[in-house]
Amino acid sequence: MGGKNMENENKNRILPAETAATDEAKNYSSFRYAVGAILAFFGFSSKTHRASKKRAKLVADIFTYIVLLFGAFVMVYPFWWMIAGSFAYTINGTGGSSLLESMVWWPSSDTLHIPSGDTTKAELFFNYRTLFTSAFESSGLNVSYWRSLFNNLLYSVVPVVIGVITSASAAFSFAKINWIGRNVVFFMLLAAIMVPGPSLMITQYVMYSDMGWTQNALVLIIPGMFGSIMTAFFIRQFLFGLPTSIIEAAKIDGAGYLRIFCQFILPLAMPAIMAQGLLSFMGCWNNYMGSFIYLSQNSEWINLPHAMYILNASPSSNLGVVIASSVMCVLPVIILFGCFQKLIIGSLMLTGSKE
Amino acid sequence: MEEVITTGTDEAAVAAAEAVAESEERVAEAAPQKKKHHVNQQKLWDNIWGWLFCLPLIIGTCWFIYSTLIMAFLLSFTNFRVGGQVSMWECLGHLGDYIYGKRQGATDAFHWYKLLFTENVTGMDRTTLINMGIQLNEMGAFLFNTVFYMIGIPIGMILSVFFAVCMSRDIKGGNVFRVLYYLPCVASAISIVYTFKIMFGSTGVMNQLLGLGNFHWISEGVEGAYTWQNLTGAEPSANAFMMDPYWCQGFFMKLVIVIMSVWKGLGGTIILYVAGLSGVNAATKEAAQIDGANGWIIFWKVTMPDLYPTIFYNIVTSVIGGMQIYAEPEMFMNSAYSGGNVMVSGYVALIYKYGINMKYASRGAAYGMFLAVIIFVLTLFQFWLDSRKKD
Repeated sequence: MGGKNMENENKNRILPAETAATDEAKNYSSFRYAVGAILAFFGFSSKTHRASKKRAKLVADIFTYIVLLFGAFVMVYPFWWMIAGSFAYTINGTGGSSLLESMVWWPSSDTLHIPSGDTTKAELFFNYRTLFTSAFESSGLNVSYWRSLFNNLLYSVVPVVIGVITSASAAFSFAKINWIGRNVVFFMLLAAIMVPGPSLMITQYVMYSDMGWTQNALVLIIPGMFGSIMTAFFIRQFLFGLPTSIIEAAKIDGAGYLRIFCQFILPLAMPAIMAQGLLSFMGCWNNYMGSFIYLSQNSEWINLPHAMYILNASPSSNLGVVIASSVMCVLPVIILFGCFQKLIIGSLMLTGSKE
Repeated sequence: MEEVITTGTDEAAVAAAEAVAESEERVAEAAPQKKKHHVNQQKLWDNIWGWLFCLPLIIGTCWFIYSTLIMAFLLSFTNFRVGGQVSMWECLGHLGDYIYGKRQGATDAFHWYKLLFTENVTGMDRTTLINMGIQLNEMGAFLFNTVFYMIGIPIGMILSVFFAVCMSRDIKGGNVFRVLYYLPCVASAISIVYTFKIMFGSTGVMNQLLGLGNFHWISEGVEGAYTWQNLTGAEPSANAFMMDPYWCQGFFMKLVIVIMSVWKGLGGTIILYVAGLSGVNAATKEAAQIDGANGWIIFWKVTMPDLYPTIFYNIVTSVIGGMQIYAEPEMFMNSAYSGGNVMVSGYVALIYKYGINMKYASRGAAYGMFLAVIIFVLTLFQFWLDSRKKD
């Protein structure tokens, strides 16, 4: 309907010029123009479309916007729901949770928490206050919210920073140095990607337990520091685009490979390294499986998603607090993605066009 | 005039070349050994530094992937339990002694693999059917769930090609849409699961939107509470599908997870397809247009062949990833620690259940090996299809 109205408005403006320009233009009803344009979008040519391509493009653009806006709404709405839901005050038990369930845009006034004493103002951040102070402890966890947040940061900063550098160094060696056995090693790494992780879950678990890594955080830190094969391959693709003459020139000037790597490759490949590092940071931040498999339920080293699982599964769980913790888990990565979206999407586009 | 100049320059060039050759000769005469030595040294350094730069990744891959793969393969023939009298190293070191059943005098190396095909579903989930005398193969049931989630792959593919075509049109703000559509990809799975679980609740947003009344998409009720009449409050029906909780309730719970994973994965594939579409040859497109092809034909004959490598890559990776689905169903059902739920859990839940929860490491390893074989065969099959298409 929106498209049709726009079409009516535009008809008077464009039509005279169009009629003058093309002799076959006829006066079709605007509805037929709209139908023709939508058909043209899907590739079916129609009379009205042929008669007025400019008009058809306009209508098709409007149609595209409507489709994309609808899609964007579907994509963003659950996030909005999450944020709105985190403000709802849900008491333990079914009554509160069904009130939260039926919320569509904003919690109704009887689900907002009203602190005793001051009845005029609803307290929006009640769930967050509970989450930050007592929610984790009261559901039988050995960690506070802040401790699990610290663990999460530890697991997603230390291995990623070191791992991305080791990956970049491997990528540099694959892309720019000629050494015996390079192709063999490359295919060995390529084949390792095909091995599914769950098949190794059991032996990795037994091995890490025997080494004593599951008692502490080492299990989630050390393996990541050896770099990731996929990251190395993406950075390698990027390094192929850099001219080799830079390295040759540096070599002639007497620089060793270590110096070339630190002073030329790292700065020049920084966009690719940053993008891959950010992507692995997000992956590690959201990594529920690692903590779940290797760490026991009452360990003090469990990370945020794992703690959230236990919080939700505990009988004394409060849905509002669970949703608030969901927001707190999503928010950092969303903010990070918002800041670096150009870099990340550019890197993803690069991999897409390379394949 | 011209000739003079050319001869002049030629002469100069020849003289210069001679001078260079002379000087090279002189250098070669002066230090032939040194030069050769220098080249060798350069090659040596290339090799040393090449290996050194690659070493962390090689060590990591061999240690955490290849060695554990070999150990898992060997372990799958033994009878090893976590927390038993022997350690895994002892067991692997004396593999011959610890083969399954050797101690009892009846060696049966493939015991766990056989069990995989013969074990039936037990536990409260299947009480109704077991009372009816029907047995359901456990591996089959869990594998069926895994394959069911894969219907999300074609749905997601069609949707993402559609949206990618929309975004690559010449419109303003295409970038903003790309960012918005990618948001679910970066969000943590567990937050998304808890949000969707409430949104698909019986009085939730989805039912209000679709006008489904009090429909129970997800039900964590007691046993036998999963039939159609419990979902909708309808009269009891004689239809087997509606009476059977495994098929009926399981279907809707799995559907919610499919919807969620399509929603979550759409942005990433859209970006891949937008990148692929920008690589589509514009000149070919224009030539086709001039030859009178309409948009539909151009899409199928020009755009799709150019986009095919991206689509193929995407299908291969999504099938490999889809076979490994584990966390989302477990979070939905809160069944991670109880070893999976027969109605929703993927195949990986069996590995976790036997290998880590019940501490039968050998059994878990055998189940894991079977998964690796399935994935390998599926991937080979896809590459075979791809090679046939090219012929």
